[in-house]
Amino acid sequence: MAPPPVVTGISPKEGPPGTRVTIRGEHLGSKPNDLISLLICGCECQLSAEWKSPNKIIARSGPGKGRGEIIVTTSSGGEGTCTVQFRGYHETIGPLKESAVWVEEAPIQSLSWNRRSMSPSSYQLEDPLGLSVEREDRKIPEDDLHELFPDGSGDLGSENFEPTWFLLDHHHSTSFDDLRVGLSFLRRKVESQKEGQLSFLKSNVSSVMEQMDTLFLFKEKFEANVRDHGLDPTIKVEQAIKKSMTEATKLFQDVLARREKADKTRNALAVLQRYRFLFSLPLSISNNIAKNDIDAVINDYARAMNLFGKTDVVLFKKVLCEVESNINDLRDMLRKKIKIMPQTLQEQKTLIRNLINLDAGGDPGWDAIMSQYEYITHLLESSKNEHMTLDAENSKPKKPKHTRSASGSHVLEPVPIIIPQPILCVEELTAIVSERFPDLWKLGQSYFSGELQANIENNNQPAFKKIILDVVALSCKSIRSSVLPHTCDTNVKTFPTSYKESLGPHLPTALQYVCDLYSNLLALDLPTQALQFVSKLLFDLKLHTLLSSVRQCENQIKALKHEEKWQYQFNPNKGAITLVPNQLEQLIMDMIQSIKLNILNKDDKDNTLLSNDLAKHQFIAEMNKLLLTIVNLMDELSSGSNDQEDNMPVSQLIGSPMVHSDKQLSGTFYEERLLLTLSNCRYIHYSMFPRWNNLFIQNGLISIKESLHLTIESLMTLENKLIENYIEIKSDPLVGTIEPSMYLGHFDWDTNIPPSDLKPYAKEILSNIIAVHAELVRIVPGVIHKVISGIVETVAEELSRLMSCVTKFSDCGKEQAYVDMSSLKNTLSQYCTENAKAYFLEALDVIPPLTAAQREKVDEILTQFQSPSDPERTFEIYPSLPIQPEINQPTPPLPYNIQPTPTIPSNSYTSSSNVLPHTLDEMKVKFKFLYDSNMEDMEMVQILSLVNKTKQSSRNLDELISDIESVDFSLERSVISST
Amino acid sequence: MPITDTEAMSKKPAVQPALHKVIMVGSGGVGKSALTLQFMYDEFVEDYEPTKADSYRKKVILDGEEVQIDILDTAGQEDYAAIRDNYFRSGEGFLCVFSITEDESFQATQEFREQILRVKNDENIPFLLVGNKGDLSDKRKVPLADCESLAQQWGVPYVETSAKTRENVDRVFFDLMREIRSRKMDDNKSNNVRGKDKSKRKKLKCVIL
Ligand SMILES: Nc1nc2c(ncn2[C@@H]2O[C@H](COP(=O)(O)OP(=O)(O)O)[C@@H](O)[C@H]2O)c(=O)[nH]1
Ligand SMILES: [Mg+2]
Repeated sequence: MAPPPVVTGISPKEGPPGTRVTIRGEHLGSKPNDLISLLICGCECQLSAEWKSPNKIIARSGPGKGRGEIIVTTSSGGEGTCTVQFRGYHETIGPLKESAVWVEEAPIQSLSWNRRSMSPSSYQLEDPLGLSVEREDRKIPEDDLHELFPDGSGDLGSENFEPTWFLLDHHHSTSFDDLRVGLSFLRRKVESQKEGQLSFLKSNVSSVMEQMDTLFLFKEKFEANVRDHGLDPTIKVEQAIKKSMTEATKLFQDVLARREKADKTRNALAVLQRYRFLFSLPLSISNNIAKNDIDAVINDYARAMNLFGKTDVVLFKKVLCEVESNINDLRDMLRKKIKIMPQTLQEQKTLIRNLINLDAGGDPGWDAIMSQYEYITHLLESSKNEHMTLDAENSKPKKPKHTRSASGSHVLEPVPIIIPQPILCVEELTAIVSERFPDLWKLGQSYFSGELQANIENNNQPAFKKIILDVVALSCKSIRSSVLPHTCDTNVKTFPTSYKESLGPHLPTALQYVCDLYSNLLALDLPTQALQFVSKLLFDLKLHTLLSSVRQCENQIKALKHEEKWQYQFNPNKGAITLVPNQLEQLIMDMIQSIKLNILNKDDKDNTLLSNDLAKHQFIAEMNKLLLTIVNLMDELSSGSNDQEDNMPVSQLIGSPMVHSDKQLSGTFYEERLLLTLSNCRYIHYSMFPRWNNLFIQNGLISIKESLHLTIESLMTLENKLIENYIEIKSDPLVGTIEPSMYLGHFDWDTNIPPSDLKPYAKEILSNIIAVHAELVRIVPGVIHKVISGIVETVAEELSRLMSCVTKFSDCGKEQAYVDMSSLKNTLSQYCTENAKAYFLEALDVIPPLTAAQREKVDEILTQFQSPSDPERTFEIYPSLPIQPEINQPTPPLPYNIQPTPTIPSNSYTSSSNVLPHTLDEMKVKFKFLYDSNMEDMEMVQILSLVNKTKQSSRNLDELISDIESVDFSLERSVISST
Repeated sequence: MPITDTEAMSKKPAVQPALHKVIMVGSGGVGKSALTLQFMYDEFVEDYEPTKADSYRKKVILDGEEVQIDILDTAGQEDYAAIRDNYFRSGEGFLCVFSITEDESFQATQEFREQILRVKNDENIPFLLVGNKGDLSDKRKVPLADCESLAQQWGVPYVETSAKTRENVDRVFFDLMREIRSRKMDDNKSNNVRGKDKSKRKKLKCVIL
């Protein structure tokens, strides 16, 4: 069993019934149930007892009166003891006690002035029986006495005095003997009084006298008093009492006021302590706001609203009001903050959540969406406008630069790389959308999924869709206005269209930006309508870029006109090709590569750009234009516009001999150019075009077969035109020289000189044709037959005309004419068209018939001409001609950049048929070098021009050849002289 | 002879240990109750509940002798000052407590001292000046020197305590009890006669009877 409880402390140690007391001690019970009884001043207080610990119980005191013990009883330790005492008192009404209770005055008087305690003691002292009694020993309760003597009283002075009561009350334990002694004592006293007044006076005379004196004295005093103070001396006392009463009230009030004040202070302190949280809330809210710890504010606020939200206490309301105003400020601040852009999605979401947690009302999520929306729109607009103004500013000072480069001969030469403003604009616009738009979208998603707040305005859904579409449409529109001005409405402010062309090379960059944007947006799971905007933009931009690359290429091709340097390389299968066709092809390939890389690679699998009919159509149209440009280029190059003169300095640099402004030289070159162009055309026609179609298809573009077909038609027209031009140029002088040559030296067909060989004019015809042939072989072997046939036809026509004009043939003349015509006809038979053959026959028919002897002679001469050393009857010049050069080797190419000044006697005109090669063999050998493909191109050009010149001035071939041989020498000489 | 008398006599224990009555005085909130409760029950109360008048009594061993200490913990508040006179009358020794963190409480000790001297009419009444809340030295407002000089001026010991850490708590109570004990022994010697007088008067009553 546990030790018994001991109470050692009590707080407070006294108080009226119901006082809350803290009882401390030891072993006051091991648990609440352990406590079975708590007596305070004999009253059971267990009901109100609150067991705190084995050392502490809190209870309320019972109605017990007076000082008493505090006894705790536990089931574990039994009844306990105490070392301290509690004094219970009933609060009495005194001058210092307030009370609303009516109190009967009689008992109070006896209580408050201690009369009772005084009077019994006086009686006790004068016990009528002369006995000394201990009052405390009284055993008979007063109530019992009252019951026994309902009408009596124990009071000696009372009218209804009951002696038995008195005795029971005071002497119930006094022994009978004592009482008897007492009685005799009383009797003695009464006897002594009964001895008579006189004897009483006698025995007490002195004291009676004394009393008399005192009475007189008293009377005198009284009379003096009346005299001095009037009949009613109590007035003064009354006044004094009144005064003291007011004084006392004042004092009392003072004390009360002080006490009230102290109570208030204590209450205030307690309240402050207890609701410290609430009172410090405004400050802590401001602090937390300053620290930006909004979550803490929200927690505090929610807690405060929970605890005090419904309070009626004015003070709390006031504090809450302040808190509320703080929170309102915070809400406003947050609302403003949510509109401050830019900020990340996370930040915005936090703000929204804060606002919602703060019961800010409104629709913060939607506000955030709207502010995002406005921000993006503003960014897009302002960035576009900014770029436009920048553009306007930039274009001013740069204008001269632009025009200079535009007027320069090389448009293609890259202008110092300045990215045009529209492209920068697209870059920025796409960046803005890629960066900002996902936030807007995701914010919207969170908003509608209810992640941000519970109450979603559902009719916001269409509005949000409109916002999304708006932003996408706006960005598309802005991009369009930058790079696709032609797709914009006319009222939309766009970048100047002057960019249209110069923008071309930069379009792929823009396209890349837009593609990136599109893929970014695709990842967002946007409504298809929004994506359509972008995909339409993408399509338009792709198409535009495609077309503009084609156009660009077209421009580059046009510019090739200035690139032709007429340097060529000979290819046995294709003829002589200058650099232009390859440059052309390179440009085309570059274009294809760029298209493939920049545009087609960005196609999605099932939606290629070129599967769209519109795109296909426009692309083909543009390709047609491009291919036509090629034909035009060729045409322009062949006709040789004034550009040639412009190109002089360039030609000089590359060592062209065409410096001399001599018309003949330039004219000669013209033929050359015709042929080279022709050869280029044929090369383009037969070699390039067929592979281009494949090139296009292989690289993902569509077939351009039809375009090529169309172009080939115009190309062939050009070719034919070139051939005709060439034939005309070559045959005109050739035909023109026949007649003068024929009648050279006053020759007459009525001659008597027997024929021994072909007449020189015939040989000249052959040599001229051979020269043309040689030129063709060197440049366009493909058209030899066509060209030579054309020339032969005109030659045959002229011969037939000349023959028919002959008035008279001598026998010898007849023979000679036969020899000439037949040999020409036979020699050129391979190149004879039906017309030509007819002309030859016509010419032979004009000649009067020969005798048999004459025919024999003629045949002999013909056989001799067709030398046995050359079994072939016709000269197949190429490729059966021996190729080994026998004449001088060309000298190194060093001197060719120095213009040779061949001095050719212009008027030395000697007719010497004997210097002409007699046989075809001879001729072939003499002209062999002309076919030598090993010769340097320029050398050939030079030599050819010399040959032509010599021919036209009718100089003989030997002279011509020695001239040619002297070229090297003179070149060498001029090198020496110039150094 | 009355039976009751003999009964009452038999209830009383043969030897009651000496009882020393200690009174805690000082301004409100300085830690009087905290010191008392720490001494009595080894507990420290954090919250402040103004005291009216609390009474504690327990047996302790003072220098090997079992004695009873009776502690009257009083209110520091001004509005109870009127009642204090009554309490002080019964006190045999005083712990005059102030808080070293509150200068006002230190200043108030003067008034308490004067009241005690007036009520007790005794310059040498057992009295200790106690500076409490010694653990809050960082908030100290009353310099140690001031405390010690005041104690010296009064001719009383000065001790600094902490009801929180229990530092010097036992010491102040035991020191005071020692003073009370030695005072009582002095009084007993000088007042022996009066004590006898009292008993004679009672007997006289009986004689009258
Ligand atoms: N830190 C500290 N606080 C104390 C100390 N003594 C009392 N207190 C605190 O001071 C306040 C008042 O103490 P209390 O004992 O009720 O003062 P009383 O009015 O003099 O009885 C309470 O909150 C106590 O926790 C102490 O020594 N150190
Ligand atoms: Mg207290």
